[in-house]
Amino acid sequence: MSNKLKVGFFGITGCAGCLESVIFNENEIVGLFNLVDVQAFPFIKGANNDQALDVAFMEGLVASPRDLETLKHVRENAAVLVALGACAGTGCIPAMRHFTPIENYQHLLREKEDDIKDVEPTPIDAHVKVDFSIPGCPPNGKEILEVVKTVVAGKTPRNYPSPVCIECRRNGKFCLLEYGKPCLGPITYGGCGAICPASNFECWGCRGQMDDANLPAFIELLESKGFDWDFIQKRLRTFVGLKIPALEPIREELLKAEKVK
Amino acid sequence: MSNTIDLEEMTKIEGHATLRMRVSDGTVEHLEIRALEGSRYFEGLLRGRLYSEAAEIASRICGICSVTHTLCAYQAIENALGVSVSAQTRSLRRLLHFGEFIRSHAAHLYFLALPDYLGVPSTLSIALEQRGVVEKAIQLMKLGNDMVRVLGGRDIHPVAMAVGGHRRIPTQTELDDIRSRLEVLRPAAVATAELFNSLPYPELKDAAERFSLYDETEYALISGSTRSSGHEFEQKDYAQFVSEYHTPENTANFVVREGHTYMVGALARIANSRKQLSSEALALLKASPVEGRLDNPFLNNPAQAVELVQSFDDCLAILEKLRPEPEPVPQPRVQAGHGIAAVEAPRGILWHEYELDDEGKITHANIITPTAQNLRSMEESLQALLPHIVALGREKVAAEAEKLIRAYDPCLSCAVHFLNVEWL
Repeated sequence: MSNKLKVGFFGITGCAGCLESVIFNENEIVGLFNLVDVQAFPFIKGANNDQALDVAFMEGLVASPRDLETLKHVRENAAVLVALGACAGTGCIPAMRHFTPIENYQHLLREKEDDIKDVEPTPIDAHVKVDFSIPGCPPNGKEILEVVKTVVAGKTPRNYPSPVCIECRRNGKFCLLEYGKPCLGPITYGGCGAICPASNFECWGCRGQMDDANLPAFIELLESKGFDWDFIQKRLRTFVGLKIPALEPIREELLKAEKVK
Repeated sequence: MSNTIDLEEMTKIEGHATLRMRVSDGTVEHLEIRALEGSRYFEGLLRGRLYSEAAEIASRICGICSVTHTLCAYQAIENALGVSVSAQTRSLRRLLHFGEFIRSHAAHLYFLALPDYLGVPSTLSIALEQRGVVEKAIQLMKLGNDMVRVLGGRDIHPVAMAVGGHRRIPTQTELDDIRSRLEVLRPAAVATAELFNSLPYPELKDAAERFSLYDETEYALISGSTRSSGHEFEQKDYAQFVSEYHTPENTANFVVREGHTYMVGALARIANSRKQLSSEALALLKASPVEGRLDNPFLNNPAQAVELVQSFDDCLAILEKLRPEPEPVPQPRVQAGHGIAAVEAPRGILWHEYELDDEGKITHANIITPTAQNLRSMEESLQALLPHIVALGREKVAAEAEKLIRAYDPCLSCAVHFLNVEWL
């Protein structure tokens, strides 16, 4: 009998990028399979067990009744449930449907069998208790390993507490905002190594908005850089729309105070 | 006696699907692949977004094809805006894209397909006995990943590409490092082709046209015309040739307008671009079961393995010449336009099409993924296979049907249109 931690990696509707992040640990993947007892990982193995797991990782968002059923089943059979990546944690880009007029996607709607009919695209914590979330679209593979190792060591994993800018400075990078790019680094949780700004690509906020972000000031800043409201509200919502405060009241306050036009 | 069999959810494929069939007196009466993905409506979510945002959003359609989606989106937007790119940008894009090919083919061949031929549930479960095989798989995958990291800025959903250029030019040292690792690992790529040349593939014949990009001057992956044995056309004319139709069961299926089923992917590329293979890739092809049997879809796996070697040889040829120079990304002139692009994903041609208004906002997006195009071909080859194995019992039927579907390297996250397929 193995006394290793029984772990499962599952996916519902998503892009499989977070599950790939697990296997893209390359050299460490064999170590991972030795460290814990990977009972389920249907993406790369047949013969999977989803019963009596110690930790289950779930990629993807709930977009169909079937997703919800799978999610509930995994939740009921795992002591700890980890939301793996942005879809599971925030609903990610698919949840932009909440902020998209139906005429934009009406032409794509089809009749479907009951189990895969559309439901509101939602992160998994809208439906079940989630014990921990690994942010990112996708999360860094090493970060996922760290969470596994932390749990094996009997400790509670923690998320990186500071904004992307901290790591970006550490990379010695110039500030993209100062170059007129709509970089969301100042209001976004880091832990990613600020890899997007390192390639001169502005942060889109995939790891979630900081709890103490000063959104009104940030919106004012973006407007002062010449970005219009339509662009700003879509960009702020792209990865985390369901997890941030309503933007319209903030905008109205700013308009009233004549801080934006 | 008729009996409906719902097989378990398939494993070792990208995404979620199951097979449903009705068998009566040893005959398959009905067969259906069911995609179990919820709909995400990317093409709708793209409307109203700026031209420069298309790639970052469309990339999320699929993690494992994220380089291809990103590149295809940028090229379609460039076509809409009338932007062309420098020779250096093109070389960087090709290298980045080959990185995705190397890791995707290595991952698919070793982790998803090989267990079928070794009769084990997973490649990692043979870790102890055949450590060398796992080691090779991991090193190949790691090289491809590192190429995507260096050239794309991130291993999944790469960020370094841009409309009209490349945001971060790699250093000569980074490119030299990739080059020396390609040289070191090239024998592992050759050994992979030899391994997949030696496996016993089931006999099967299908009639689908093999469709791929084609270019006289190179093994076409990121540009070229579109070619099969029966057709050749420019990318921009795809709507005249490729037809999408929905059955009453809401299936999205694709055929060439004349009604021919077609198949995309490694086997199709090998069929059309044989002349463009490197000498060693060609020699491996000649020693392969694929030679003379391009009509057997199971042989998509050894074709991928030949392509792995081709990828190494093309990358080494690019790196031989490439001396990176600083090159700022130009600011495109924003205007209304319509652009189409096709790029070969590891699993076949991917199409992106965008219409932009005069502010550069997307008013229409259409994305056709390789797996959606392969559905009808998968349908027909399963139809051809099943009568031969239906008497072998549920387990064997499931295993062989899954093996065939897996040979296409399907990507169900990708198949944004893939809803529900009905056969017979």
